[in-house]
Amino acid sequence: MTSEDTSVVVFGSLARDEFTGGSDIDWTVLIDGVANPKHLDLARQVRSLVTSLEASPPGQEGIFGNMAFSHEIIHQIGGEDDTNSNTTKRILLILESRPIGRRDAFDRVLNQVLSRYIAEDARFLHHSARFHVPRFLLNDFARYWRTMAVDFAYKRRSRAGKGAAIRNLKLRMSRKLIFVSGLLACFSYHLLISDSERSALLSSPEASHEFVRHLRRVFAQTPLEILAAIINRHENLRPVGAQLFRAYDDFLGALSDETQRKHLDSLAHGDEDTDSLFRQLSECSRTFRDALLNLFFDEPTGLGQLTKIYGVF
Amino acid sequence: MLSDEDFHVVELSALRLSEWTPLVEALKTLDLSSFRYVSIHLPSLMDRSEERLVVKSLHDLENPKWPLILHPDTVTDFGLWRELGDRLCIENMDKRKPIGRTERELESIFQQLPDARFCFDIGHACQVDPTMNEAYGILKCYREKLEQIHVSEVNSLSKHDVLSYSTIQSFRDIAHLIPNVPLILETPVLQDQMRQEVNKVRFALLPIITEIWSPKDEILAPLASNQ
Repeated sequence: MTSEDTSVVVFGSLARDEFTGGSDIDWTVLIDGVANPKHLDLARQVRSLVTSLEASPPGQEGIFGNMAFSHEIIHQIGGEDDTNSNTTKRILLILESRPIGRRDAFDRVLNQVLSRYIAEDARFLHHSARFHVPRFLLNDFARYWRTMAVDFAYKRRSRAGKGAAIRNLKLRMSRKLIFVSGLLACFSYHLLISDSERSALLSSPEASHEFVRHLRRVFAQTPLEILAAIINRHENLRPVGAQLFRAYDDFLGALSDETQRKHLDSLAHGDEDTDSLFRQLSECSRTFRDALLNLFFDEPTGLGQLTKIYGVF
Repeated sequence: MLSDEDFHVVELSALRLSEWTPLVEALKTLDLSSFRYVSIHLPSLMDRSEERLVVKSLHDLENPKWPLILHPDTVTDFGLWRELGDRLCIENMDKRKPIGRTERELESIFQQLPDARFCFDIGHACQVDPTMNEAYGILKCYREKLEQIHVSEVNSLSKHDVLSYSTIQSFRDIAHLIPNVPLILETPVLQDQMRQEVNKVRFALLPIITEIWSPKDEILAPLASNQ
């Protein structure tokens, strides 16, 4: 179905390898080439295929389940034309996406997006810089995280609280997970690479290209794998890792249980605080949050310092 | 035509199979003495029996040292081509092709043809990834095998075209990685436009150039500070 100019891309839990029975399939037909009216036919085919799988359709906001064009995703970073929808597509393309079928367009667009963030912020690659963290990219991840949080409040109002309970839990768990994986990716030149290797990469005239290649390798992993890679490299983080993954596993366990998921889906706004399942998963999210705080403010790994310098303002 | 323009490098191409036999015949009498470098581009589409015949005919070529440029998606029997050793030059492909477009895809081809050399098509690489990150990866990996470079713009229809301003800027990004090897221009121009196109290529690929290429005037003009 796909071609050198079109990739079918999935997002969300399917891309993160966290798909459960009640998950929806968020997808888009990513187009990077000459415009062709027939692209709509491809999108209709994909929609028909997804419907036949009897999975939940993409979300109500209309960001997924149709075509996405590379031009806006690549060119509109920041500024008035960088709409909520455009930012969402771009950030999720980086943080939680997988191509199905031909990946040519997907790889091209991802390379171009990441190259923009890196090439236009190249001062951080100067070997004399104290830290080598791509601020442009990090700021866009942070902006998206706050947007998701604000959008939760928007949806709670616009949908009169319907589905707010499960969206709240997802915000505190899976949405937060992809944000922290993005942060860790931005910090990864200090967390995954030895000092000597980093010095060699930064001294090279191809430092920008090498950093983009490094990010592609990092983002080829799922968010959980990114976290695991960092934690496994540092012995002192193992207890924090255990706490973190146990909490997330409990969350996924609840979502994969049809009865519990339906219960959370139908929980009326205002009933959350007295609902035992919601309270149990809230506690889970607090454990997850506390583990992340311990991770990000860990001093021996240097994460604490990076978080203070880049994560606060 | 090329001799008149004082070019010393030429690639003789038989992209269509029907052109191959006439080319082989013509090579027996063509005067190529004015060229310091000659390469031969093999047909880009062959079935199994045609492939065998073309490889057999290569042993009768006038000059056994001429590099033989091959599209990797043409190959059916790698064993046949392996015998040609370092005479063979594998070319990286454009986005339409199923293999040979990226560093990773070329790896499996060179595993099958370990002695083969490499023809870097910079236009193909730019089309596959306009950031030139893939081109960088390809050159980083296969620089030692580099025999020659194909230069052109590859447009949205995957056709060779003259170099545009934005493509020249993309090429300049990795120009410093390119060693001193023959450049084969695949840009379709008339004879009276050849020099101008060569100037554009010089500006795109030779990092020591201190002249500015102006898209408006399509000429190279000296930098003001160098005057």
